Amino acid sequence: MVETLFEDIFRVDQLDPDGKKFDKVNRIEARSDQFDMYMQLDVNTDVYPMHVGEKFMMVLATTLNLDGTPDSGFFSPGGRKSLADKFDYVMHGKLYRINEEGSGANVKADIYVSFGGLLMLLRGDPSIAAKFELDQRLFILMRKVDKA
Amino acid sequence: MANAMNENRGEPDKTLTFTKQPYIVDVGPRKIKDVKFSMFSGEDVLKLGEVQVSRSQSYVSQEDKRPVDNGVLDAHMGPTNKLGTCETCHGDFHSCPGHFGYLPLVLPVYNVGYMSHVVDILKCICKFCSRILLVETERVNFLKRIRNPNLDHLRKTGIYKQVVKRCTAMASSKKVVICSRCHYVNGTVKKAVGTVGVIHDRSKVQNTTSNEFNDTIYLKGSNTPAKLSPSVGPDKALKLFKKMLDEDCELLYLADRPEKLIISIIPVPPICIRPSVPVAGGAMSNENDITLRLAEIIRANASVREALSGASVHNKSLGVLWDNLQLSVAQYVNSDVRVADSSQQNGKRITGLVQRQKGKQGRIRKNLSGKRVEYTGRTVISPDPNLKITEVGVPIKVAMTLSYPERVSDHNIERLKRAIRNGTYVYPGATHLRKKDGSIMSLRFNARKRLAEELKLGDIVNRHLKDGDVVLFNRQPSLHRMSMMSHRAKIKHWNTFSFNESVCNPYNADFDGDETNIHVPQTEEARTEALMLMGPIELWTGKQLFSVLLRPYADMRVYLNLSVTEKSYTKPSGERVKPYETMCPNDGYIYIRNSELLSGQLGKATLGNGNKDGLYSVLLRDYHSLAAAVCMNRLAKLSARWIGDHGFSIGIDDVQPGDNLNHNTNRIISQGNKKCDNFILDFNKGNLKCQPGCNAAQTLEAQITGVLNKIRDETGKVCMEKLHWRNSPLIMSQCGSKGSPINISQMIACVGQQSVGGQRAPNGFIDRSLPHFPTNSKTPAAKGFVANSFYSGLTATEFFFHTMGGREGLVDTAVKTAETGYMSRRLVKGMEDLFVCYDDTVRDSNAIIIQFTYGSDGRDPSQMEGKSGFPLNFDRLLNKVKATCPAGQHRGMSPTEICEMVDERLSMHDMSTEGGCSEDFRRKLKEFLEKKAATLEFTRRVLNGEESLTLENVAQSICGITSQQLKVFLEVCISRYHNKKIDPGTNVGAIGAQSIGEPGTQMTLKTFHFAGVASMNVTLGVPRINEILNATKKIRTPVITAKLTCNDSIPFARLVKGKMERTLLGQVAKSIKLVMGLRSASIIISLDTETIGALHLSCINAKTVKESILKTPRIKLKDKHIRVLDDRRLEVNNPSTYDRNKLLFDLQMLINKLPSVIVMGVGTIERAVINKKKERDKFNLLVEGTGLQAVMGTEGVNGLETTSNHILEVEETLGIEAARRSIIKEIQYTMESHGMSIDIRHMMLLADLMTYKGEVLGVNRFGIQKMKESVLMLASFETTADLLFNAAVKGQVDKIEGVSECIIMGIPIQTGTGTIKLKQRDAQIEKMCKGLELILSE
Repeated sequence: MVETLFEDIFRVDQLDPDGKKFDKVNRIEARSDQFDMYMQLDVNTDVYPMHVGEKFMMVLATTLNLDGTPDSGFFSPGGRKSLADKFDYVMHGKLYRINEEGSGANVKADIYVSFGGLLMLLRGDPSIAAKFELDQRLFILMRKVDKA
Repeated sequence: MANAMNENRGEPDKTLTFTKQPYIVDVGPRKIKDVKFSMFSGEDVLKLGEVQVSRSQSYVSQEDKRPVDNGVLDAHMGPTNKLGTCETCHGDFHSCPGHFGYLPLVLPVYNVGYMSHVVDILKCICKFCSRILLVETERVNFLKRIRNPNLDHLRKTGIYKQVVKRCTAMASSKKVVICSRCHYVNGTVKKAVGTVGVIHDRSKVQNTTSNEFNDTIYLKGSNTPAKLSPSVGPDKALKLFKKMLDEDCELLYLADRPEKLIISIIPVPPICIRPSVPVAGGAMSNENDITLRLAEIIRANASVREALSGASVHNKSLGVLWDNLQLSVAQYVNSDVRVADSSQQNGKRITGLVQRQKGKQGRIRKNLSGKRVEYTGRTVISPDPNLKITEVGVPIKVAMTLSYPERVSDHNIERLKRAIRNGTYVYPGATHLRKKDGSIMSLRFNARKRLAEELKLGDIVNRHLKDGDVVLFNRQPSLHRMSMMSHRAKIKHWNTFSFNESVCNPYNADFDGDETNIHVPQTEEARTEALMLMGPIELWTGKQLFSVLLRPYADMRVYLNLSVTEKSYTKPSGERVKPYETMCPNDGYIYIRNSELLSGQLGKATLGNGNKDGLYSVLLRDYHSLAAAVCMNRLAKLSARWIGDHGFSIGIDDVQPGDNLNHNTNRIISQGNKKCDNFILDFNKGNLKCQPGCNAAQTLEAQITGVLNKIRDETGKVCMEKLHWRNSPLIMSQCGSKGSPINISQMIACVGQQSVGGQRAPNGFIDRSLPHFPTNSKTPAAKGFVANSFYSGLTATEFFFHTMGGREGLVDTAVKTAETGYMSRRLVKGMEDLFVCYDDTVRDSNAIIIQFTYGSDGRDPSQMEGKSGFPLNFDRLLNKVKATCPAGQHRGMSPTEICEMVDERLSMHDMSTEGGCSEDFRRKLKEFLEKKAATLEFTRRVLNGEESLTLENVAQSICGITSQQLKVFLEVCISRYHNKKIDPGTNVGAIGAQSIGEPGTQMTLKTFHFAGVASMNVTLGVPRINEILNATKKIRTPVITAKLTCNDSIPFARLVKGKMERTLLGQVAKSIKLVMGLRSASIIISLDTETIGALHLSCINAKTVKESILKTPRIKLKDKHIRVLDDRRLEVNNPSTYDRNKLLFDLQMLINKLPSVIVMGVGTIERAVINKKKERDKFNLLVEGTGLQAVMGTEGVNGLETTSNHILEVEETLGIEAARRSIIKEIQYTMESHGMSIDIRHMMLLADLMTYKGEVLGVNRFGIQKMKESVLMLASFETTADLLFNAAVKGQVDKIEGVSECIIMGIPIQTGTGTIKLKQRDAQIEKMCKGLELILSE
């Protein structure tokens, strides 16, 4: 199995916290179970509808190749097996910023990724941020998880 | 007569032929060094003249069209038409340069141009012995001073004025001066009113001193001396002037003998400058105005001669005829001379010599300063998105008329041969061929084939314009240097010039019929200069798909990094503290990293010009002008094609409000109305709480205006929220292309309040604006509030109010253009010759230093990247460096390491002041990096509780910097800083003048503005700029801002305010009563202690009041007249007079005067307002009025931080340096309040120019005349004739150095690329031997 950078299950808390601004995209606010991460993410709800209360699994990975070879940067069609097969919604983007938030014991690290303009903010324990680098190309993979 | 003489002109040859070509002496190249102005004496005119003109006829007769001998058109002065020949040089119409004639006058007359000088001289000399009136010691003293060789023209004029003043002052009291040498009694001298003449008023002589001086020579034997004629005729003046000593002339700053001020012989100008135009097939002729005037003079002269010889046919006396002659000569010189007798013909005005020179259409401004040029074209413009930004489409028709002289070489001979074969009428052809031997051949009809065959290397072919030729493109008005830019020509069909629509902005062009000019530089040097200095791109300051536009292929090494906030960027509100930055919900934060657009929708802030951090500006600074241009072109093409496919239009449905929107607007409007009603109700009941410094009515107006303006803003906001995102006006407004929320709201929701002169609609009828409303109605609707939208339609009254507002706008724009145009002209005339020298100083053309370093750091304002004119934007640069050289495996530095490295680099030579780095830049760079180090330290401390390596890495990736990155950053910063140095020779003056003048055209004319407090208005806009530039003595709204020593308590501020404000006795007195006793009458003043207490003026008591009364001027009371009865009562007795009848009146008068005695405060202050700035509740005082010194001296005011907006007052109180600062500050403030920012360097230069003489000089004719010396430059500005006459009298020399003079003389200008000259070392230096060897060498 390929090694991913981050894996967790999130629950959608809120849709469009600042009001709906765009027709086909919603900004979701979500919180994870395992690492207690906070996330804001722009999702193309036109193709992948999301609702408050839904749970989904989110994975961040540098490559879709199952054997872990680095991503070539090109799209290669053909029915090759890839990590994406198991997921419903995949985006590719770039990490452009790491920042710290808060101070003292509850200091958090913010990771900002832009998936072609759809943005993600991932906030959590600083140790998680250590795995990420600036200018890293990332895939985000999402799959809805049953409420059960 | 002002006579320009070329000092260096050589001796005329004997073989000289007269042509209109300039005569060039063959002894080496010569150029005009200077121009000397002088006067002509009668002999000079005789020497110059070829023929005596004595007959007023022009032609022999109707049929015989030969000029009359000795007539005004005598053939000795040149041929009148193409058929005639000159009888002096026998040249024809084209070759004869024209010759002067002379016209001797029977009796001398004054020259009106010199009238003021004549009067001044007569004031200063004795009217009997012609010596100066000054006492000997004074005379010697003045002479010594005026002979000082170091004096310039201005100081000499100053001394001369002192002499005149002294001489007139001697007569002041008795109106009589006795000459200390001949004891003649002189009266006062005045200019005659109504006629041209001088009056010597000796009427007082007889009254006062006739008894004492009866034995003086002049009055001896005369019993009725009062009968002496008061006027001094030209003959008498001439006699007096001839007797004057040269020494006295020197004292009066006369360069020449004063008798030249009086005309005895008139030079008659050559015919070519006053042509005679045949009309009606040659039967009649239209004579030039000058000729008509001359004929008139000849007739007047003849009748005087007749009268003298006694053969007069008229019964008029000699005096009348002489006056007539004087008048006609005066009008010949200046037709504006006012004439007393009303019999003047009131038809077409006949111009005089002065009228030919002065004004916009006069010789100097129209023909000498504005030259006509060849190789130009003009036509209508149209857009063409397929052209590059650097290109301009030139129609073939134009391209075939304009030409470029190309020298034939091996590379182009084939092409040029083809061009010659094609000739003038076939494109691509050529118009002329210039052979090596200098012969020029037209290619219109000549044997072109043969010429093409014979074409040799080195010949010059004037070929048609072709693709890629450099042309200058210009659209008027040329307000700034971007109005004329160099482009590459692209030859196209049709008849219009076309260019890429991206360059509309700098030209301010649209395509509704605008016309533009094109110029073709004719030499390679000119082409290169145009390319280097005037390229359009140089001067431009304009998501996945977009990344492709930025960097279309991987090899392209453009790594763009920037972050911009667009208009739609939302600031955090409520509990959110941290800014959104990239997570902005409106996607309004642009973040581009390594040419990859990561977030944000691009809009005006990113793509438009004017933003220093915009995409194109960054591309231009970080990469190349080409990169920016190419990118701009790609985007422009994409947008044009996309919008062509997609379409974009506005229809009526775009402005139809939905139910929701309607509901909301109605709610907002009704709420506003209700609020206003409440205010009005309060006002009527008298419950309205007054705002500081306002009365109830003003407060009501302010409150209502506030509410109504808010309605418009709110409806605008609602529109922006509720409209569908595909709504066309909304899109236009959001992306910043055109329109604001207010415009949308006006179309859809509510037009809003109409204002006239910054107020609500005024009352056009008695107590109401329109008869549709009840009187004294203050409701929104009655005072011009328009609740309807343009869609819903305006009611009749609303429509009327709207037209009122609209008219004001129209008038405003019409007035504005004229006013700002004049302002620009004054600025340019004042600053045109300032340029940067090679030693970094800014000097004018006389090499007088204006600034030691341009803008105090010597940087080029057009290349500034940072905020408020700072050279660099460190934050952006650091981000770029971090993005372009990623940390990779390198370890980040520790904060101490960073500081060490920075210190090391900053101590190197190129960061020192000697190395050309300003202290300010060094400090800012250091501070910036120290701050970065501190943040890193902080982050590390926060994250790194337990010293783990992983967390250290996180900290580094958050805000760390590697040694390599730091090094690159420092090098980039420093090298860029040095690259931004202003080029020596730059015309910073002209650029500065344009940079200040051009934004002026965008300002609305009359704007008033709250200076923090309601009711405290400050003049802004063009009038304010005018006030500053003119250094006006009495400005409209002087405001002193006073800081308080204790700035956080209101009572203290009130105390100071009370002390400062003018308090009159009438305000604090309970009563001022007249008390009549049995034996005496007096006035009793009793003070009102309650009021005094309420006003916080506890220091006012009877004693202080007594002192203030004594100090008040024009109340002639002495100490003994006022008695202090007790602490709050005074008794005033009647002053001086014991006349019982007058006593009551005197006391009544006192009673009237006493209430206006100032008992406290500064008299010049209108009022003071306590101003509370929101942040941290600090108080300061805004004082309306003048009296800075008094305010600074008031107890409780912090004098060190108290300023005024009155520049002359600042100069008076704080000195010239403070005045300079104040000029900069005030211009900046005015511009900023109109949302315009101008680089501070321009304003610094202007302020330095206005203050460098040690006093504040306005940029108008009075100030500029004190700044510059050159006569020609000043004459080309204003008051042309006066300056020329004065220059002739004073014998001024104009060295041709400045910009205006060089243009007038047709000499290359000594600034810009003209500063440097190429000097060639000649191998063999021979001594020039002309004529005899000089025995004495200098």
